[in-house]
Amino acid sequence: MDSDTNDVLPLQELSLDEAITEVELEESYEEDEEDELEEYVTLGTIEKPKHPKFLLRHLFPSKTGGTPAWLDPVELPTGKFSRCDFCEEPLQFLLQIYAPIPEKESTFHRMLYVFICPSMSCLLQDQHEQWKRREEDPRRSIKVFRCQLPRLNAFYSSEPPRKDGNDKPLSVGAALCSWCGTWKGEKVCSGCKQARYCCEKHQAMHWKSGHKNRCHHIIHNLESISSSLPGEKLSRDKVACSSLWPEYEIAIEDECAYDAEASEDASYEASSLVTQHVTDDTYQFLLDKFEADDNKRSWASFQERISKCPSQVLRYSRDLMANPLWPLSIGRPTMTNIPKCKYCNGSLCYEFQIMPQILYYLGVKNDSDSLDWGTIVIYTCLASCEASARYKEEFIWVQLYPTTPIS
Amino acid sequence: MAERGAGDRGGFGRGFGRGRGDRGRGDRGRGGRRGGGQRDEEEKWVPVTKLGRLVKEGKITSLEQIYLHSLPVKEHQIVDTLLGNRLKDEVMKIMPVQKQTRAGQRTRFKAFVVVGDSDGHVGLGVKCAKEVATAIRGAIILAKLSVVPVRRGYWGNKIGKPHTVPCKVTGKCGSVTVRLVPAPRGAGIVAARVPKKVLQFAGIEDVYTSSRGSTKTLGNFVKVSFSLIINFYIFIEIRVIVDFAFCILHLIHFVSLQATFDCLMKTYGFLTPDLWLDTRFSRSPFQEYTDLLAKPTKAILIENTERIEA
Repeated sequence: MDSDTNDVLPLQELSLDEAITEVELEESYEEDEEDELEEYVTLGTIEKPKHPKFLLRHLFPSKTGGTPAWLDPVELPTGKFSRCDFCEEPLQFLLQIYAPIPEKESTFHRMLYVFICPSMSCLLQDQHEQWKRREEDPRRSIKVFRCQLPRLNAFYSSEPPRKDGNDKPLSVGAALCSWCGTWKGEKVCSGCKQARYCCEKHQAMHWKSGHKNRCHHIIHNLESISSSLPGEKLSRDKVACSSLWPEYEIAIEDECAYDAEASEDASYEASSLVTQHVTDDTYQFLLDKFEADDNKRSWASFQERISKCPSQVLRYSRDLMANPLWPLSIGRPTMTNIPKCKYCNGSLCYEFQIMPQILYYLGVKNDSDSLDWGTIVIYTCLASCEASARYKEEFIWVQLYPTTPIS
Repeated sequence: MAERGAGDRGGFGRGFGRGRGDRGRGDRGRGGRRGGGQRDEEEKWVPVTKLGRLVKEGKITSLEQIYLHSLPVKEHQIVDTLLGNRLKDEVMKIMPVQKQTRAGQRTRFKAFVVVGDSDGHVGLGVKCAKEVATAIRGAIILAKLSVVPVRRGYWGNKIGKPHTVPCKVTGKCGSVTVRLVPAPRGAGIVAARVPKKVLQFAGIEDVYTSSRGSTKTLGNFVKVSFSLIINFYIFIEIRVIVDFAFCILHLIHFVSLQATFDCLMKTYGFLTPDLWLDTRFSRSPFQEYTDLLAKPTKAILIENTERIEA
């Protein structure tokens, strides 16, 4: 398709019904609207879980908020992996999705976990870091982990869960922190020897907010904790921390289910078109002011796409040809920004993206330091490699809304 | 979690599987619940930006707070929520534009839509699409995003409500210049057909206009008026707001519409003596609520932990 330039083609006359209309030739080749290559996209929407116990790890849930349901309950990420690289606080659980790859045996069960530091200032620093070249190890405040298991494994039965309330995993996992319930609880409370913590900060917070009183009771009365052995608590009691995000299940829907719409009625009479005389650059001014620049155009098509299903929080499309839906045209990565897989050195491919609607559902506040993003895009190893680490870190790209308004 | 896995997975959930294999079975599962595109217009709006979330919560009650801090409005539902049903829209012109291709001409339709309430807010939107209805819908959304405030003033005695432009203001777009001159009450809108409609929607009751240049070039005419109104509003004096509903239905001279719009945009950019006082800067909505929410909450978590230990 050729694009037209101003001086090459003259105005054409076109007669429609009674009115004679001078039709304007397009001066600029606008963004191709025939994006007929409809990628197959799966959407994730938020749903209240029928019962919290349906979100336990042996039922392989896709969920957001609350605490993660670790697929491999023993070898959890620790140390540097569980912390924000800027403020050294443990990261907070954002969401996890169950995304198996049926073709390979080793990826029969496959989960992706996303953790984020709830401080916006860390996210702004993270923005700088993500643009760095891949030779340097960037510091991130948002991390994604992938964990996969074959069908026959030590943790879950090879038979599908019956979902009748009696399912149990095969073994008990590691104990989790009593405060955040997210990370492994390696440190033990020296008083009662029951409460476990992932870091000192959480121990201090738990102590202040009530453990101080309980610790004493536990030592002396040996109050029954659900499992006397050090291990995870399988029942979903609320963890002590109250600043975790509310827990929801992510329901899976196909985007094309929303596509069927009533076709527009192009019944608008062409005869009401009126004569239009010579246009000039003032016309272009109007267009510039009111129509688009790159950013506005991306934003417009972004809005149009999400309007099919406004409550979507996640877009999944693990396809080589797939492209994420970018709200803005600035801040997009190029091929050089996306590194290779850390473990197998293969290339990464786009897998899914998190939409900003999730902030609304999680009830994130709207002050100056609260989280806000345009979109978060996750790239994973194309081959979904096996490596010694159980939870493999993948690459994440955040596109933020610009802080200064773009006119 | 529903039992719809492929045969080799037995009863295990499909999860977010690869799309390719499932292309044929597009609309099964929970997608069917929505029905074939049963997208009701009142479907809940889920905000995507922080400003949207604030508006949805109700922390921001008027557009003026947004104008005060020059916050960019990215979601048209924000304007919908704040202006509500006062906002009317009208299609000004549908213009076919053509593009030469090897196989003939490809015609698309360009829609110009103006939205506004009759109380000082107007917006103008332009959208091109293959079908007229799509273009109109897109243009309405763009128009809502570009809503600006308009300022009104008095001709003489400051009795009653403002009814005319605050001062002589002129706007220019291309060769068209439009000049709005304050008029006494009862004068009515003395203007050509095109700007008259615009100013009627703006709520300016009396004004003299004088236009010059090739006013047949409609875009210019409109732009000038719009820029005039915007100029009045650069300083924060929201007392006088010109109704800016630019809904011109039979917009023959489209370019002059631009000129008028330009005029009206300038109304708030014009420094008059009553704006000489120093402005008292207030906190942006994002800041304001930080303090509200940063109130230290006591450790009432003691009760919570009682239940946890059990």
